[in-house]
Amino acid sequence: MSNQHRIFQNALVAAVGMLFAAPMLYLLLLSFAEGWTFPHLFPPRVSAGLWETMWGREQGLVGGLLLSILLSVVVAVGSTSVGFLAARYVSYHRWRRGLLFLSYIPFVMSPVVLGACIHVVFIRLGLVGTVAGVVIAQLMFALGFAVIFFVSFWNAERKSLEEAARMLGATTPQTYSRVLLPISRQPLLLCFLQTFLFSWFQYGLTLIIGGGKITTLPVLVYLYTGEANIYYAAGASILLMLPPLVMLWGNRAMAVRFGR
Amino acid sequence: MVLTVQEIGKCFGQQMVLQGVALSVAERQTLSVLGRSGCGKTTLLKIIAGLIAPDSGTVRLHGAEITKKPTEQRNVVYLYQEPLLFPHLTVFENIAFGLRLRRLPNNDLTHRTTRMLEHLELQAHAKKFPHQLSGGQKQRTAFGRAIIIAPDVLLLDEPFSSLDPETRASMQHLFKQLAQEYGIASLFVTHDLKEAILMGDSIGYMEAGKLTTFASRQEFINHPDYGARNEIEFWSSLRQQATNHDHAATV
Amino acid sequence: MSSKSNLDRAGFLLFLLLAILPMAAGLLYAASYSVGLAGLLSEGFTWEYWGRPFQEGNQIFASFAFSLGVALAATAITLLVALLLVLTVRRSLDSGLLAHLSTIPLALPGTVLAFVILQWCSGSGIAARAAYALGLLQTPAQFPGIVNDQYGVGIIIAQVMVGVPFFALLFTQLWHSQRISQLMELAQTIGATRAQRAMRVAVPLLLHRAFPTVMLHLVAVIGVYEVPLLLGVQSPQMISVLTMRNYAMFDLQQKPEAFICAILYTLLSLLLIAIAWRRMHRMDHEQSA
Repeated sequence: MSNQHRIFQNALVAAVGMLFAAPMLYLLLLSFAEGWTFPHLFPPRVSAGLWETMWGREQGLVGGLLLSILLSVVVAVGSTSVGFLAARYVSYHRWRRGLLFLSYIPFVMSPVVLGACIHVVFIRLGLVGTVAGVVIAQLMFALGFAVIFFVSFWNAERKSLEEAARMLGATTPQTYSRVLLPISRQPLLLCFLQTFLFSWFQYGLTLIIGGGKITTLPVLVYLYTGEANIYYAAGASILLMLPPLVMLWGNRAMAVRFGR
Repeated sequence: MVLTVQEIGKCFGQQMVLQGVALSVAERQTLSVLGRSGCGKTTLLKIIAGLIAPDSGTVRLHGAEITKKPTEQRNVVYLYQEPLLFPHLTVFENIAFGLRLRRLPNNDLTHRTTRMLEHLELQAHAKKFPHQLSGGQKQRTAFGRAIIIAPDVLLLDEPFSSLDPETRASMQHLFKQLAQEYGIASLFVTHDLKEAILMGDSIGYMEAGKLTTFASRQEFINHPDYGARNEIEFWSSLRQQATNHDHAATV
Repeated sequence: MSSKSNLDRAGFLLFLLLAILPMAAGLLYAASYSVGLAGLLSEGFTWEYWGRPFQEGNQIFASFAFSLGVALAATAITLLVALLLVLTVRRSLDSGLLAHLSTIPLALPGTVLAFVILQWCSGSGIAARAAYALGLLQTPAQFPGIVNDQYGVGIIIAQVMVGVPFFALLFTQLWHSQRISQLMELAQTIGATRAQRAMRVAVPLLLHRAFPTVMLHLVAVIGVYEVPLLLGVQSPQMISVLTMRNYAMFDLQQKPEAFICAILYTLLSLLLIAIAWRRMHRMDHEQSA
């Protein structure tokens, strides 16, 4: 490789890297800025004021954070465990392909559009405006993902391993506790993280089914943006980005799957 | 008889895979079943192991019918073509797996497993995980894991076909030794004529879902239809030629 | 026999109950609402509502065309940039600096993404301030509207920003799994130049393997909500935004249109999913062959 070529490559890597990192850097800077408006290209003053005041009760950020964590954990645990079992059923079923196709519908379709359609069902069931309602609505979509995720996991080799355990005398609970769960630790974790993030990011669906009463972090970001409170929006955005960043950095394989 | 199979039939959709299959295996004996791939051998073994339900017929173990018994209560172990080890467990834990399920006291378990490791000459690899083993070592571990729970019948589905010829020969030897020592009855399925004759106390031939069994090895060898005699004649004529050639050379 | 336990069946029933059933019920409700069989104003079966998209001034078809256009443009630009990146700086994407930094845009939720693009690209945003500092403009109003614009430029920028790292990472993985390096070496021994190796081996192979993902990505971008909600305009609107607007209107007369939108969108998505699906299965065969 020529010298010129290498310089060009390094410059390109640096430029693209800057673009990738820019949103996070910008949000951080904004959260420490004061009076950063047109025509200031850089913040005229910096302070940590936001990070001190934003935890106050009237801002609702702490509540939103806790609510978001609760929702996402429940959705992730629910969809991962149900998806794990349901995918097993689908994988070994005669209609595997048809059932799998069904799972793709909630997986890729807009939660908002489907959310508008199921809204009335949730009204009838008295679930609109409740945390339970939002959990169930998000589960619907997270489950589609979890089933697709685990269907490829339940292959002929897993089946044979399970048979091997049975022939050596393992009962159903023993097969799960001693073979199926231990060999599934990695995929279970991956699925948990991804469904967690799905719920963590969700705005539109939470808004419809939550009826505006369930103020999770993404809902707060939007509220702050609407109120033109850009510093609060930046602070909430950073809180919103931290868990996914930690998770995605921890596992790059997940990054690719997640984008789907 | 340890294992008696009667009139087993099985269809997959339109396709008849097994038809009126009957066989029996006596205490400490090995029945080899010779057949090409796709003749229904694997389906037969999986029916005996309880992994597939037959359409008709019965499977008996020590005279008691087990046709509808769940796999885990049969005490019949099926060994796959590929040595299928639990990837999350060490060699030691793979072999000890069945004993752990039976909640054996710890020192008894350690003692038995260690002895099995010695038999298999795997002591040095006890703490390794499956992905660190060679093909032969994996297959030996799979054997140990099956034999240590003293199954009533061991079902072997071309267990050596993925091994190189040398390892294969030593595994055949090891298997005979272990079966003898632990007194296990087995059903050995292969497509290799030589292996069938070598491993079996009696022999069966399977074609298109039908099984023909022979009371003795000799009867099978003498039968004109199954190629054993051709094989013998081929090798002896080769030997004849070689000695003639040597003879001519010395003259 | 052993492979199906009651536990799986229970899991599957829950999946039916929590995901498939409500989805089916919702779509059925939408369909019956759109033909006047459900809802507060229901007066019995009618095709009247389905005639509305064809009326002058109705937004539905414009919205579909706009959504499809934005999704196609965003996906095309995304693929182009991601391919260029993987062809030039693959090593860095693989295990270098970009491997780490490329996860940042993937951690951006739609709301945050839209917020950041708005702060950068609006008339008083960072880009406009840079232009001001360079003396290119004097007031925010002089900055060209690239957010809340007729052509959805802001939406496209936002989608490209999250799409590029995702596809760059996907291509990097495919590069390994499809042994593209070896195939390119092989092509070199046959006499292919650098450009020929890229254009005749790497690019077609990457696009071929990524095709189902591209289709699913397209479905996802057509249906985005958070981003156009903040960066879009009143007309034309992306499908999700229009559906929600019609649905949430106090004017109940608009509701059937929301459901017509939803059904048309569902049909379009099903078509695209089916195309992706067929290719996925064909590739399964290729892989096992």
